[in-house]
Amino acid sequence: MRRLLLVMAAAFGLAGGALAASTQVYTVPSGAGPHDVAPGPDGVVWYTAQKQGALGILYPDTGRVVHVPLGEGSAPHGVIMGPDGAAWITDSGLNAIVRVDPKTNAVKVWKLPEDSGYTNLNTPAFDGDGVIWFTGQTGIYGRLDPKTDDLKVWQAPLGRGPYGIDATPAGEIYYVSLAGSHLASVDRKTGKASVIELPTPKQGARRVWADSKGDLWISEWNTGQLTRYSPATKAWKSWMMPGEKPRAYAVYVDERDIVWVTDWGLNVTRTFDPKTETFTAAYPGSGPGANVRQILGRTLDDGRGEVWLPESAHDRIMVVRAD
Amino acid sequence: MRLWLALVLVANPVIAQPSSPGERAYMKCFSCHSVVAGEDGLQGPNLHGVLGRKAGTLAGFDYSPAMKRAGTSAGLVWDRARLEAFLQEPDSVVPGTVMARPPLASADERRMVLDYLETARR
Repeated sequence: MRRLLLVMAAAFGLAGGALAASTQVYTVPSGAGPHDVAPGPDGVVWYTAQKQGALGILYPDTGRVVHVPLGEGSAPHGVIMGPDGAAWITDSGLNAIVRVDPKTNAVKVWKLPEDSGYTNLNTPAFDGDGVIWFTGQTGIYGRLDPKTDDLKVWQAPLGRGPYGIDATPAGEIYYVSLAGSHLASVDRKTGKASVIELPTPKQGARRVWADSKGDLWISEWNTGQLTRYSPATKAWKSWMMPGEKPRAYAVYVDERDIVWVTDWGLNVTRTFDPKTETFTAAYPGSGPGANVRQILGRTLDDGRGEVWLPESAHDRIMVVRAD
Repeated sequence: MRLWLALVLVANPVIAQPSSPGERAYMKCFSCHSVVAGEDGLQGPNLHGVLGRKAGTLAGFDYSPAMKRAGTSAGLVWDRARLEAFLQEPDSVVPGTVMARPPLASADERRMVLDYLETARR
């Protein structure tokens, strides 16, 4: 069950400028529903086993998987590695922020205040001061300072929809609203959120990721566009993904500032080179309707990058490694 | 076109709370679905009057191919039993659905959601 499923030498529709890469697919326990993924310390890869209320720990060298139960009612959505090397999770089932210790697997839970109600917690991001910010799709965003346990929740400016969130290299926080179709910048001192409207109305901004320059890349679910926003110049630019009726879901920017974006409808993850403004490579799901909902990568000690793609529909996780 | 709206928010506001157990249970659906007649633009179809509706047929909503097939080819109509099964395990009822909500494991919770949707059919 936990064996490596498949190793493929890959040249999936590589266009000019794309680096050669290979892919490998790992199986995780049946029914896990891996939603988000995050490389952790010492080579491990974490994933949220959303349907089984656990943090999954994948050891890529062997394919071994360990599940750490997060508690009764857990349904984890997002996971990232914190500055402390721990896994930090937004758990919609527990309505809580959860930390899993990387050495002991000890679970610590910060419940949201009772007056927040059910928030459908979505995605976390650490700012430049080690404070974790998070979104909740019912219409909230918030923050937790792990040093003081101070947890605050704010009502989002335009109601339901806060989804993806990320920090820029300078440590500033931005989130996007899927139902509200906007970007928001957050004043980390006051907690105020300012709405930034995208050029295309009703675009369904689902996830956001910052590149090394601090520009923000946004996946538009409703339109199928990949959109860039530069906070420094307030300039926008959008590119339509290839194919018929694309649906942009996950977005991530790697160490080369190459943008990775998932087309849900066509079951493919694409790379986009901002220098040439072209989509350069395409990595199909390991089976039909893989439902890749999030992307995250890391740079290995030898300088090569790898990018992880959780396939929530197939209980598999694919990795793309630069050759 | 680039409209900036600076919105001042109050720290730790009291967030409006659901008024009934059914509405409280329905909050797990609220992010993507409205029960307000005519409200659109969300990720999921409007659920006003969903009980009794043929799957994938609400005018103006962009359903997945799987949901369209379930209604038009397989004739799936949302009665309480079918909708409860869908809430419990969406893919078992409509394989390939984009319904993102993890299954509602609690039978009580599913019943409360269905009760709430019954009120929204009127």
